[in-house]
Formats: sequence, structure tokens, C-alpha cells
Amino acid sequence: MGDPFVLILLGGFLALDDTSVGQFMVSRPLVAGTITGWVLGDPFLGLLVGGLIELYFIPVFPVGGSDFPEGGPPTLVGVVAAIAVPGAGGIALGVVVGLLWSRLAAVSIHLLRKANGRIMPDPTRGVVSSKRIVRAHLTCVGLDFFRGSALTALGLGFARWASSALPGLWPLSPSLTLGILILGAAIPAGAFVRSLGGWRKRGVLFAAGAGGFLIASVLL
Amino acid sequence: MIGAGFAFSILPTLRRVYEGDPEGLKEAVNRHSEHFNAHPYLANLALGAVCRMEMDGKAPEEIRRFKLAVRGPLGSLGDSLVWAGWRPVTVLASLVLALAGASPGATVLFFLLTYNLGHLLLRVGGFAVGLARGSQVGDPLRKLSLPHQADRLAAMAVFFLGSVLGLVIGRGWTFGVSVLPWGAMVGLGLILGSRLGQGSWRWTLWAVSGLCGAIFLIGWIA
Repeated sequence: MGDPFVLILLGGFLALDDTSVGQFMVSRPLVAGTITGWVLGDPFLGLLVGGLIELYFIPVFPVGGSDFPEGGPPTLVGVVAAIAVPGAGGIALGVVVGLLWSRLAAVSIHLLRKANGRIMPDPTRGVVSSKRIVRAHLTCVGLDFFRGSALTALGLGFARWASSALPGLWPLSPSLTLGILILGAAIPAGAFVRSLGGWRKRGVLFAAGAGGFLIASVLL
Repeated sequence: MIGAGFAFSILPTLRRVYEGDPEGLKEAVNRHSEHFNAHPYLANLALGAVCRMEMDGKAPEEIRRFKLAVRGPLGSLGDSLVWAGWRPVTVLASLVLALAGASPGATVLFFLLTYNLGHLLLRVGGFAVGLARGSQVGDPLRKLSLPHQADRLAAMAVFFLGSVLGLVIGRGWTFGVSVLPWGAMVGLGLILGSRLGQGSWRWTLWAVSGLCGAIFLIGWIA
């Protein structure tokens, strides 16, 4: 299952990239999944799990104070779970754990925002010094790192349990498993088209992409 | 970027402007800690402009009014340009690349390079334009016609989404999966998603998790 210390540190850094520091999108499921796969020796499985989770998250935009799923640490946990359970069951488990952990991450982000509100000085209640701003800012960044690491550590515990309890229980073939997961991803994909203008406005472009690449993949 | 983040980011400029005036610095930090909310990338445009205004010695009330005026438009423009445009375009284009046979390393590298090219262009370029133009940042923004660019990006994102699904179904066919029933079900899923709207990702997540949990349970019982 890899070095837990490295994975927990990676989880902390991925959490930082999501909002607090940089936002270079290393925390997107596609990237976080592949990097975790690399660390654990299976980048292809990491890319597969990360790519599928990415499709589920495609219609979600982090607008204002909206509830949005976190990509980094949950995908890391999902890939660890996928590698812990061999075969098609591992792929299903990895995607599901990634999705469920993203909800847990959303709760932790909500709590972090509340904590940030208390830590950050309120300019209406008196003069805010520059030292206090810097200290409060760095404390909030540190808390976010801790949140990501804790979320990852919890996920590693689950993956350890899954590696002993779940192997051999998944009865479906790999193609049927992927079919179910892609079918599920089609629903958020439909919502994505709607939020970007709907089928009347964008249907032709969607059909051109789908038809063109379908024919190309069959012919080539 | 919110109030305290803005104050943190502008600190180096304020320290230079109010060198030898600790009371002035305190007052300025306090002013910039007030509520501010804009898209994290485009906020740099406002940051650059406010740096210029502070360096030019503009009145605090004028700076406050400027920040109030730009935060809303920069927020909504950034949301449509980046979160609903550039990010999905680059993510989906990378997925197309992966499905076309690119290695995991090439896929991730392609995504990070293309996404961050636009990202850093907005951040660094926005700050530079803001710093050069001060409160007159509206003119270069209007020339770029960013809402129009956001619409183009949205169109590209939908095209790449179609491409991803086309490739997935096509790949399934090459591995012996029946394309027609799966294609029809994916089509139904797309229609269902577009009917239910953006919030559908939440209950889809629970439905897929519940289904997979039930399949594991069946495997355990059997």
C-alpha cells in the first residue's frame, strides 16, 4: 500500500493546491489519481480511477460559497483503495471511495471555513496589524494542510480494511464494471451540457465530437 | 480571493508605500482587510490596479470604491472563463488524449502545461495590466472581449465532452462490448442529467455508491 507517511504528506499538499496555495490543478482527480498511481507503482490504474472521478465532477464549478467536491485527497484515497483490491472490484471500489471521500472532504472544508472565519482578524472590530494578517493567513494554510493529511490518513485506514475484507467479492466483469461507472458519469455530463447552454445551443457540437471520435476509434 | 487574502497579497506594496509610517501602514492594512471576493486568478487584476493606486497616493475612499466596483464583475467573469471554460476544456482534451492511447505521464503533463499556461497568463498578465493601468483597467478588458471568449470555451468544452464519450463507446466496441445498448443507456443518462440540472452530480454519486455497495454485498452473500 506504499509508504503511509509519503501518502499522508501528498494528501496534505493536494489539499493545499485545491484552494489555499497555487491552484495549479495538481489536485484535479486526473492528476492526483495518476500521481498516486505512480507512487504506488500503477499509474494506469491511477489514471483510470482519476479520469472516471473527473467525469463525475465535470459539472461542478467552485462558484462563491457553493458546496463543491474536493478532488485531491479523495482521489488519492480512491486510488489506494483500488490498488488494495485487485481486479474489476478494485476499480469500482476506487471510484466509489473517491466519490464518498469527496463528500467527507466537503464537510471538512465547511468546518475549515468556519475556523478560518474565527482566526482571521475582523477589521470592523479594531485595527488589524500586518503581523497579525500574516500569522492568521499562515495558520489557515497550515490548518488546510492538516485537514488534507487527516482526510488521507483516515482513507488509508479504510483501504487497509478493504484490502483484507473485499478481495474476491466483486462478481462483475471489468467491461460491465466500467459500463456501470461510465453510465453513472453520463448523468453529470448531461448536467454539464445544460449548464453550458443546453442541447439546442450545443447539441451539434456535442454530436460532432461524439460521432467523429466514435467513428475514428472504430476505424483506426 | 477574499479580504484577508487581499491584505496579505498587497502587504509588500503597502510596506514600501508606508515606509517609516507605521500608523499609516496599520490603517492601510485595515482598509484592505475589509470584505473582498473575486475569482482567485482575475483578482490579480484588481490587486495590480490597487497597488498602482496606492503607489500613486490615491485617496482611500477612491480605492475602496474601485474595489467595490470590480469585485463582482471579476468574480463572474472568472467563473465563466476559467471554472466553466478553460478548466473543463483542458481536462476533457487531456481525457481525449488518454483515451487515444497517450501514456499517463503524457496525459498529465499535457493537462498541467496547457491549463497553467492560461492560468499563469491570467494571473501574471492580469497583475501587470492592473499595475500599468491603475483604475483604468476596464479599457484593455473590454478590448479582450472576455465574455465572448468564455462562450467559445464553453462550446469547446461540450465538443470535447462529446469526444470523450464517443471514444469511450468506440473503445468498448473494439473490446467486444455491445455498443448499441450501452450507447443508448449513456444517451439516456445524458438526457436525465440535462433534465435534472447541475445538482444531479450529488445524488448520482450516492446512487452509484449504493449500487456498487449492493453488488459487493451480493458477492459476499453468494
